[in-house]
Amino acid sequence: MTPALEATDLHKRYRRWMFGRAGQDALRGLDLRVPRGTAFGLIGPNGAGKTTFIKCLLGIAWPDRGTVRLLDSSPEDPAVRARVGYLPERLHLPGAWRPPAFLRAVGRLKGLRVTADELRTLLARVGLLESAERRIGGFSKGMRQRLGLAAALLGSPELLVLDEPTDGVDPLGRVEVRRILESELARGATLFVNSHLLSETERLCGRIGILSGGRLLREGPLDALCRAEASWAVRFAPGADGAALVAAGFRPAGDGTFHLDAPDAAALNAALDRARVAGALLVELTRASRDLEDVLAEALRAAA
Amino acid sequence: MAADLLREAGARKWFLGLAVAITLLLLALLGGLRLEVVDGALAATRLFGKALFTPIRAADIALRPVFIAASYLIFYGGMAFGLIACSDFAPALLSPGRIEHLLALPVRRWELLAGTFLGVLLLGLLGATYGAGGLLVILGFKTGVWTWHPLLAAALAAVGFATVYAGMLAAAVFVRSAAVSAAVGALLLVSGILAGNRRALLTTMSEGPGQLVFAAWTRVMPPLSTLAETAADVAAGSPVAVGQVGTVVGECALFTAGALAVAVWRFEQRDF
Repeated sequence: MTPALEATDLHKRYRRWMFGRAGQDALRGLDLRVPRGTAFGLIGPNGAGKTTFIKCLLGIAWPDRGTVRLLDSSPEDPAVRARVGYLPERLHLPGAWRPPAFLRAVGRLKGLRVTADELRTLLARVGLLESAERRIGGFSKGMRQRLGLAAALLGSPELLVLDEPTDGVDPLGRVEVRRILESELARGATLFVNSHLLSETERLCGRIGILSGGRLLREGPLDALCRAEASWAVRFAPGADGAALVAAGFRPAGDGTFHLDAPDAAALNAALDRARVAGALLVELTRASRDLEDVLAEALRAAA
Repeated sequence: MAADLLREAGARKWFLGLAVAITLLLLALLGGLRLEVVDGALAATRLFGKALFTPIRAADIALRPVFIAASYLIFYGGMAFGLIACSDFAPALLSPGRIEHLLALPVRRWELLAGTFLGVLLLGLLGATYGAGGLLVILGFKTGVWTWHPLLAAALAAVGFATVYAGMLAAAVFVRSAAVSAAVGALLLVSGILAGNRRALLTTMSEGPGQLVFAAWTRVMPPLSTLAETAADVAAGSPVAVGQVGTVVGECALFTAGALAVAVWRFEQRDF
């Protein structure tokens, strides 16, 4: 199956045409494939090029070099964009309008005939049904974000591109948004999420890309990225001699757990043998895993 | 896009204010205009109790100055209002967070600009038609003179405003600023008045680079004052050569097409 989106050797430089100032590279040879039906999270520091990548993906900005394929077609093709739902980072909404009018307008531009029942269902889904008759101008940031999400969900798109979808949404609202996105994923949609909230990304996305300085530093399944290949978490039965274990190469990690760095199976077993000789009884052995924050920090350190 | 722009305009106080102002003006005319028609002729025209024209003449002839004044008011008054009230439409369209959302929808870039332009054109046409239509209905009931000429003049006023707005739209695509857009509109309006009187003005200028620059500049500007005079003649029912109307409308349409072409060219290239 062709990927939901594919970028090859993508370059983008923002030029400043006044005062002779040099431009800035936003993307520097980005290659990325996102399989259909997956949830992909793009993370990285500010100015990494995440939003620029989304803009190139949707034909909002033009790449200087490289190609972008969206649902097996060019993003310039309006028919392809009709199959994509997009929530920009800072969605500007018409303050004097009410949510149903805004959604109907978006539906018209998407070529959809949205019935009143469908609108009510959609507004209920994002938790805005009770505010349907209020003017958008009086909405909080979180409510605006929910309305933007509803607009992105119009027409059940095959691909959802969400730039900071939970920005400004309260903690309970985030849970609701996550549930909605999980149901979209279960429906078969592909999610492409750009977020600063690493814990949210970690909970939702099965695949992660780390972008920095316009380059993709790491990319792959979340568990593979977070797994520390050479590190193990080891738990011994109570009564083990801590000093002997440290001498055998184990590092205490608190609550009775020790960490061990072992590059291969032989090294791992040799260390365990030393522990057993010291009288320690093994009760649990797992690969040590890191959270996304550690992975991001390590990737950025390595890139620097 | 055009329908959405009309909806957006309907929510703006500027346009609500305009609608209220036109309605109040029409109501004032309805209540205050004292006209006495005797055997089809207008015996006296009184505006708020003051006699306007003393000689007795045919009603349609007597009403000509009223239609001419209304035509100029709609043309220049409407344009001045539109310059300010519509200057924000294109910059709002291009505002961060909105343009990205629109460009990600299955709409071609040029369609967004065309929709905005058409929306503003419709807005101008609606405003001018409401004012002119209301006036001719009031005068029609009071004098028995029914004429569609003021409506045609209103359409010409809308053509004039569309010409200026095309330039404002092009300016906004280059610089996203309501102030710049309005300034370009004002410049075009003044230039258009000068362009309509270029021959007369050129004779008053001494030869030299200044005259050359003036001649070149007013050559490419739309002859708005000529269009306004033509609209006034049409409103009054004065004989106007079809070729003359066609020429002045054609010149304005050419300028509009050129400005829109520049706007679309830049818009297609721009990153947002």
